[in-house]
Amino acid sequence: MEAIEVTDLRKSYGDTRAVDGVTFTVRAGETFGIIGHNGAGKTTTVECLIGLRRADAGTVRVLGEDPARRRRALAHRLGVQLQDSSLPERIKVAEALRMFGAFYRDASDWRRVMERWGLRPLARKAFGDLSGGQRQRLMLALALVGNPEMVVLDELTTGLDPIARRETWRLIGDLKAAGTTVVLVSHYFDEIEALCDRVAVLARGRVAATGTTGELVARTGTASLEEAYLALEGADR
Amino acid sequence: MKAFTALTAAELRLLSRDPASLFFMVAFPLMLLVLKRGDGGAVPGYLAMIAAIGGMGALPGLLASYRERKVLKRLATTPISPILLLGAQLVSQVAAGLAGSALLVVVTVAVFGARAPGDVLMLTAAFLLCSVMACALGFVIAAVVRNTRGASLIGMLVMFPMIFLSGAAVPRKALPGSLRQIGDFLPLTPAVEALGGAWSGTAVPFPLLILAGIIVAATATGAALFRWE
Repeated sequence: MEAIEVTDLRKSYGDTRAVDGVTFTVRAGETFGIIGHNGAGKTTTVECLIGLRRADAGTVRVLGEDPARRRRALAHRLGVQLQDSSLPERIKVAEALRMFGAFYRDASDWRRVMERWGLRPLARKAFGDLSGGQRQRLMLALALVGNPEMVVLDELTTGLDPIARRETWRLIGDLKAAGTTVVLVSHYFDEIEALCDRVAVLARGRVAATGTTGELVARTGTASLEEAYLALEGADR
Repeated sequence: MKAFTALTAAELRLLSRDPASLFFMVAFPLMLLVLKRGDGGAVPGYLAMIAAIGGMGALPGLLASYRERKVLKRLATTPISPILLLGAQLVSQVAAGLAGSALLVVVTVAVFGARAPGDVLMLTAAFLLCSVMACALGFVIAAVVRNTRGASLIGMLVMFPMIFLSGAAVPRKALPGSLRQIGDFLPLTPAVEALGGAWSGTAVPFPLLILAGIIVAATATGAALFRWE
C-alpha cells in the first residue's frame, strides 16, 4: 500500500509558484527524504500533506485520505514536527507532553515518551528555558506522543549538536524498525543518506529526480548524494 | 472533551504563572478597594475592570504571540480544532476573572463589612457576560492587529480609556459632561450598569441584552477577520 500519493500538486502564493507540478509516492513503512534548497517548495509540499494548506491543483492522498478535506481524522494517525514552531514560553515539558497526549485517540503513555526521548530530567523545565537542542527534542517527542502511523519531520536536526543528532538518528531508526512511515525534509545530505530509503530532489517547485541515493548517484555519474543533488539542481536550471 | 479539558487546564496554569495577570486581576482591585476604605459601591466597577483587564489587556497580546510564534500552527497539525484553543483561552480568562472577582467580593463583605451583594446569581451572570464580552473585543483586536507588540499595545489603548470613561474605575458622575457622553457609547458602560444593578439587587435587563448583542457582533467580526498565521 502507498502511504502517500501526490500527483501533479500545484500551489501558488500570488504570482509565485511555490509548487509547480510535484508528483511522488511513498510506500508504507518507508523512510522518504525530501531534499532541496530554500524556496524549492519543500515546506509548501509538506503543508499540503498534513492538511494545513489546500492545493490549487493536483491530488494528494495520505494514508488513503485527502488531507485538505479530512485533516482532523488524518491528524490522529499523523505525527508532525514543523520548522520553527513553538509552544507557550511558560509551559513545562511534562505538561506539554501530557496535553498533546490528550489530543489523540490512540496516544502512547506520555511518561514513556518523555523517558524514551531523554526528557525526564527536563520534565519541570519551562519551554522558554530550554536550549535549542532540547526544544527540538521536545517537539520531536510531541510528534510521536500520538502513536502515529506516519511522521512528517521538517528540518529534523537543525539546531542539534552532533551527539544529539546521532541520538535522534538512532531514534528515527527505531521508528523505522517499528514500521512507521517517515517523511524527512532536510538539507543535510548525510542525514538523508543515513536514514532514507528513497529521496525526492525538489528544485524550483518540481521534482528533479526520485530514487535511492545509489540510483541518484549512478544516474548523475557522481560520487555522493551531495554531488548528485548539485548536478540535478543545476541540470534543472 | 478530554482535549478541551487538557487545553483549558494548561491555559489556566499558564495564566497563574503570569505575574502581570495575577497582579492586575487579583492584587490591583484589592489595592483599589483598600484605597477606597472598602466602599462597596465601587466594587461593581472594579469587577468590570477585572474583566476588561483579562479580555482586552491580556488576551490580544497572548493570542497574537501564539500566532506569531507558530504555536497556533503547531496545534493546527494535531486532531484538535483551532477553535478549541480559542475556547480554552476564553474559559481560562473568564475563570481567572471570576476567581479574582469572588475574592474581591468576599474581602469587601468579610473584611470591610460592606453590605453583601443584593443578587449574587445575577451578579455572577452579569460578570460572566461582561467577561465574555471583554474577551470577544480582545479577539477582534487580535484579529485586526497582527503582531504581538501591536496587539498588546492596542489592547491597552482600548482598555484604559474605557475603564475610566465607563465608570469602572471612577464613578461617571465625577466626569465632565463631554467625557460622560463618550462613555455612553463604550461597551463597558452597560457592563458596569449591569454589575451595579445586580450589586444593589435591582433588575437591569437592558444592559445585559446590550452585552449579549456586543458579544454576538464582536465574535462574528473577529471570526471573519482572524487569521491563524
